[in-house]
Amino acid sequence: MTVNQNELLSALVDGELQGKELDDALQLLHVDEQARMQLQRYQHASDVLHGHSLGYQTIDLTTRISTALQDEAEFTLATKNNVSAQVIAFPKQFWKQTVSLAVAASIGALAVVGVMNQPDNQLIPSHQVAVVEIETTPMVVAKTGERWTVQEQEVEERLNSYLVDHNEYAGASGVFSYARVVSYDMGR
Amino acid sequence: MNVDLELVQRVQAGDKKAFDVLIMKYQQRIVHVITGFVHDPVEALDVAQEAFIKAYRAIPNFRGDSAFYTWLYRIAINTSKNHLTARARRPPAVDVDAMDATNFYDAPELKEFETPETSLMSDELQQAIHQAIQSLPEDTATAIKLREFEGMSYEEIAEVMECPIGTVRSRIFRARDAIDKQIQEIMGEGE
Repeated sequence: MTVNQNELLSALVDGELQGKELDDALQLLHVDEQARMQLQRYQHASDVLHGHSLGYQTIDLTTRISTALQDEAEFTLATKNNVSAQVIAFPKQFWKQTVSLAVAASIGALAVVGVMNQPDNQLIPSHQVAVVEIETTPMVVAKTGERWTVQEQEVEERLNSYLVDHNEYAGASGVFSYARVVSYDMGR
Repeated sequence: MNVDLELVQRVQAGDKKAFDVLIMKYQQRIVHVITGFVHDPVEALDVAQEAFIKAYRAIPNFRGDSAFYTWLYRIAINTSKNHLTARARRPPAVDVDAMDATNFYDAPELKEFETPETSLMSDELQQAIHQAIQSLPEDTATAIKLREFEGMSYEEIAEVMECPIGTVRSRIFRARDAIDKQIQEIMGEGE
């Protein structure tokens, strides 16, 4: 044991080691039994001065505790903390703003849906809607002018009935009421 | 950062050697406290071992809200009480708040559990250490007194003594080395 090593152990007793010096001390204690004994003697002297000791005997529980803990898994808490720290590394302000925005968007969406589902939609006066006449170029959507291009009459009727059923259901649910105005039969 | 907390974080990161240092640092105090509960020094060693093992298993939950020793002390007291309950013996009525843990060593309730022999030996050791300190050069003696009796950090001692921290560290080491030699002499005579 060198003087420097003993000085290192003395500083460890006082809790004055950090970083690399603490690494060095831990490594020294790991490989050098004499260093462990020296540290325990320094610690014992300090304990005696503070009245913690029960006589001359220096106690060494490290061996029996190490043996008892031999089969225990080593912790990896620091790794877990790092991972979780990366996940929640956003500033608090970010989360506040995000939550506020989400709440505001939800309320806005509910309000719009509610207004749309009013029976006569009185909240939106129809006379305020401006009518603008614009020149439009006719565009051919379908050559036949029919919405369904099926050959068999039976299939066409079935499709129509599906559409009617759908419109009725949509009206009842209050969600897709706009579907009433695009029903097949009205446009025909 | 507090060295105890750094050692705890190393244990939490999987370094078992760091826990050995915590054991070496606190085993005397913990055994001393536990002896006050279980009265039997040999039994106290077993309970202390159990307390340290519990502390190791619980160390992932230690967040540094309190000092490590306060936390360890609480575990030691609970382990002692459980031990006495398991042995169908009544835990002592005297209890100490965990916040007072660091000042618990001189509690009269503990003194009464010391045997005359251990008490005498402790007194002899204390006298020898005080004699060793008195025989030191003044600067060295002052440094170790400020550290051990006043609980000052190296930085505070450096400020009081108006010298670099490295000098403080060196002086405290020389004092400790002299004390160690004195103890070795006494223990050699005792054997």
